[in-house]
Amino acid sequence: TLLMSALGLLRGPAALARVCSGPWGLALGEKRMLLSPGGAATALQVASKRDGPALLPLDESELEEQFVKGHGPGGQATNKTSNCVVLKHVPSGLVVKCHQTRSVDQNRKLARKILQEKVDVFYNGENSPVLREKREAEKKKQERKKRAKETLEKKKLLKELRESSRNAAVGRTADADSLPGSTQA
Amino acid sequence: MGPWGRMLWTLLSGPGGRRGGTQGRVFGSWPPHPPLPRLLNPTELVSHWTGVFEKRGIPEARESSEYIVAHVLGAKTFQSLQPALWTQPLTPQQLHCVQELCSRRLQRMPVQYILGEWDFRGLSLKMAPPVFIPRPETEELVEWVLEEMAQRPPLMEAQDGPWILEVGCGSGAISLGLLTQLPKSRVIAVDREEAATRLTCENAQRLQVQDRIWIVPLDVTSEGSWTHLLPWGPVDLVVSNPPYIFHQDMEQLAPEIRSYEDPVALDGGEEGMDVITSILTLAPQLLKDSGSVFLEVDPRHPELVSSWLQSRPDLHLSLAAVRRDFCGKPRFLHVQRSGPRCSCPADPRPEPQPA
Repeated sequence: TLLMSALGLLRGPAALARVCSGPWGLALGEKRMLLSPGGAATALQVASKRDGPALLPLDESELEEQFVKGHGPGGQATNKTSNCVVLKHVPSGLVVKCHQTRSVDQNRKLARKILQEKVDVFYNGENSPVLREKREAEKKKQERKKRAKETLEKKKLLKELRESSRNAAVGRTADADSLPGSTQA
Repeated sequence: MGPWGRMLWTLLSGPGGRRGGTQGRVFGSWPPHPPLPRLLNPTELVSHWTGVFEKRGIPEARESSEYIVAHVLGAKTFQSLQPALWTQPLTPQQLHCVQELCSRRLQRMPVQYILGEWDFRGLSLKMAPPVFIPRPETEELVEWVLEEMAQRPPLMEAQDGPWILEVGCGSGAISLGLLTQLPKSRVIAVDREEAATRLTCENAQRLQVQDRIWIVPLDVTSEGSWTHLLPWGPVDLVVSNPPYIFHQDMEQLAPEIRSYEDPVALDGGEEGMDVITSILTLAPQLLKDSGSVFLEVDPRHPELVSSWLQSRPDLHLSLAAVRRDFCGKPRFLHVQRSGPRCSCPADPRPEPQPA
């Protein structure tokens, strides 16, 4: 997925030009005859399994979603494979483009998840759980590296000590060689 | 030009085209640039085939190349391919594979049939012509059904349930989408075509849910066929993406659809209503009192279905809700019972008079 600041960066002449506002983007005054798109949004409301609070939830009414132009009549009358989803968070201007899977449904959910993280960082900055977790992970990684390095150095030192003591021992046995009756391996 | 170059030239030339005329012999003076001295990497290969497809008027030129190249490299989408691979040249075997698959795309074969698989709500399903390829809109039909089920705890808490009947299962997408998300659900999936029931069966086994699905070859439009479903008892849900294309629109379909997918899975008759009305006619006999029907339809159908239901008060069904797809088109219907299931001797509720 790519974070872009302008939709114009999308490749190809047939790139996204049409805004499909989806079930929640009906014109003003038009009767809304459907359920709220709870599916896509509810996928995000799970708090992180690890410690830390849940991220700022995304408000669907603040999102604009785009699918590839040229959908035609849609449904059975069309066979489309371009399942790329472009999701924009209008208040912040952040945009996420997702074509990770072959499933529009999955791409929409993924796009929301990623956008949610970006938005959280945007508003919470350093305090965002997203960044905090990243820093924690990086810190742990550095600590592990440090410990590994220390362990390696200890081993090296130990090896050197053993080697030098063996050399000393060899020196002594060499002297003993000349004594009669000495048993040697 | 050495042996590698010659082989590469052949591989990249593509076939001359199945038919002559305007589409054939495009490759007579192709490629316009000098022979390639090395094996291409994925990015270059995609650009190459995108160009080939565009010259031949193949729709979704870039997407098609991307899916094919990604597939050969073991990924589902180009975007999900490991970035490290983007600049690694493909092996001659891989190039050959890509060429084989791309030559099928040049014949307008749908990408899903070329790859032999496609994803539906994250589930990987086998695809095989002429069985109907699941459309992205239909993922939202499943989403809606799941939302509805979540609002009915009794259904979910039952030892086995909800019980679902799918009409026209095709590859099994809807049934399997529901089964995998509703761990105690049971599905009866019917289709009039043997190729479809076989494919649904195969996909059910792929996903290891074969023990919760019964797959029945059945044509619901034929007289009395629904009686074969009575042994399973009344169901909580009837769900379908029935053939709903208006017959007159069939000839306008893209070659991908017209030449490869089963027209029986698409043609809904004069007003695209034939199978829809069959389903709604059998629904009262097979649904529980609180049961629902969920359908995917053509955007012109909500009104037509509403009128039709009013003309059939004997069915005791009404249109409860219409939902739009991700392009804002009214695409899904929720039909519910509006009266008691059995025809009681003394019906206390008088029939509402049409306005």
